[in-house]
Amino acid sequence: MSAPLLHRDPGHAPGDAGGHGHDHAHGGPRRSSRTPLLVVGGLVALLLVVVRLASPALGPGLLPDTAQDFVTLTISVIVESMPFVLLGIVLSIVVQVWLPQAFFTSWLPRQPLLRRAVISFLGMFLPVCECGNVPLARGLVLKGFTVSESMTFLLAAPILNPITIITTHQAFGWSDGILVARLLGGFLIANLVGWLYSRHPDPESLLTKSFAAECALPTDHAHAGGRVRESVELFRREMSTMMPALFIGAAIAGGIQTAVPRSVLVTLGSNPVWSVLAMMVLAFVISLCSNVDAFFVLPFATTFMPGGIAAFLVFGPIIDVKMLALLRTTYRPRVLAQLTLVVALTSAAIGLVVNFLA
Amino acid sequence: MLTLVVGVSTLWLAATGQLILYIHPRYVVFTVVMIAIGMVLSLGVLAFLPARDDHDHGAEEAPPGSRRPRRRRRGSSTARGVAVAAGAVVTVGIAVALVVLPPATLTSATAGQRDVNSSTASLNGTTVADAKAGDADAYKSFSVLDWAGLLRQTSDLAFFEGKTADVVGFVVPAGDDPDVFYVSRFVVTCCAVDAQPVGVPVHLDDWQSQLQADEWVEVSGGFRTNQSSTSTDPVALVPESLEKVGQPSDPYLY
Repeated sequence: MSAPLLHRDPGHAPGDAGGHGHDHAHGGPRRSSRTPLLVVGGLVALLLVVVRLASPALGPGLLPDTAQDFVTLTISVIVESMPFVLLGIVLSIVVQVWLPQAFFTSWLPRQPLLRRAVISFLGMFLPVCECGNVPLARGLVLKGFTVSESMTFLLAAPILNPITIITTHQAFGWSDGILVARLLGGFLIANLVGWLYSRHPDPESLLTKSFAAECALPTDHAHAGGRVRESVELFRREMSTMMPALFIGAAIAGGIQTAVPRSVLVTLGSNPVWSVLAMMVLAFVISLCSNVDAFFVLPFATTFMPGGIAAFLVFGPIIDVKMLALLRTTYRPRVLAQLTLVVALTSAAIGLVVNFLA
Repeated sequence: MLTLVVGVSTLWLAATGQLILYIHPRYVVFTVVMIAIGMVLSLGVLAFLPARDDHDHGAEEAPPGSRRPRRRRRGSSTARGVAVAAGAVVTVGIAVALVVLPPATLTSATAGQRDVNSSTASLNGTTVADAKAGDADAYKSFSVLDWAGLLRQTSDLAFFEGKTADVVGFVVPAGDDPDVFYVSRFVVTCCAVDAQPVGVPVHLDDWQSQLQADEWVEVSGGFRTNQSSTSTDPVALVPESLEKVGQPSDPYLY
């Protein structure tokens, strides 16, 4: 989960997954021309296709049920998150490379509180769910956002974004104030956390060393190859950071889901206090993207009290197993622990309020 | 690169129509488009970046990326090293699984673990009133989900009188009676992660002698009062015909 792993893995994966067909690239001349690499990449891709095509011959029943389900769930999390991560990285590249330096910073209010409040609404224009927000937030920090501002964006954007609002509205309408609680709650938490961290004396120390080092780089390096090249370089860097984190997060989420019976949570659903806590645990474990979680939680609406649903919808987008793995690429473990605590307490409070009002 | 692994696997799944084993059909187009963009970019990485970055192959021991400032202190503790190694193993393992293992649906292990019919709202799609209005043909097309919903809403035998169900699903043993099993399907709202099992209870003495958990069956028959004394389901399907079938190409319901 730390820097050495992140940059090492991309080399491992195809090798182990696809046999040894590409080993000749190893130890080639350091300044080999471009074409061979592309050819090698193509070959690797081709090899993967061949393996993939050949594998159904193995037939089903290779693994015991539980292990098979673990694999299925893990892959499901990856396949579901992958497009959003890609979208986030593409937007991050646009922000970092293709937009002028002052695009975001110039028109934002200078007053910190107001500034963070406006930043919370950036998600309206950058509709990415939370997994895509991590690369985007990294990009914004590199573009001059402070650490606390990046957190505000990171926490608010998955909830205050058009896709999430539409899907939540489709799923719940205006019933029981769930939609309102979700939007207000997301906004409040994001600004609360942003405010807390803005008071931190040394914000740089919140970031992982590898990311802080990246921030310290002058932004106008590598202009030699032009913007396309810079974009590609950025894509490689972000992907090699995000992918292992995503894989590990997905594996943990899949593992917990195979191991913990869901009925344990569901039986707690009708108690005003327990329903909130149970739904938060469920949100933490299930690691869905904010754009789709409303549909998931809809079937629970009859079992659980509305406060539980609201807590699920506020807590889930911000903190879950997969997100922690992704956030770990950027923030220190201590920060993540504090973040989890603050967000959990606030969402629990919101859930309880909804329960007592409804 | 991992991108290529995921990309190739996903596109292959999409091409063979098996992507729906993992996600809801409404996300398929979005996923395929984004993955295609990702593939182009990752091939772009290979095309545009010269090998001095040492980025894609043979970076086994030396930490690559020499032109990037690295963490100055090497991992000070062994614990860190172990964590990194474990992470690497997990990542590689999943990458291998993604490419090599045949895609599969969730099994009865997860169905049992998630409690068949435990979430109720998805069971309200077909109401008793709707069903009363329907004619005999409509019942033919009722799925496991429709019947499970009706059973949830009413246990009035008069309602089920004369109605024949014909459903396809996989076998999940009922926990509370050895003579009852559920013909089940998973209902998916977003992706396999959120799959909720629904099922119609079937009462068949000693079904274990003919069937095994996870086998796909087509059952048809009428509903009777559940003969079982221990089962929580008041009404169960009593099969007139029961046939083993192959897994349908769209195993989940939506």
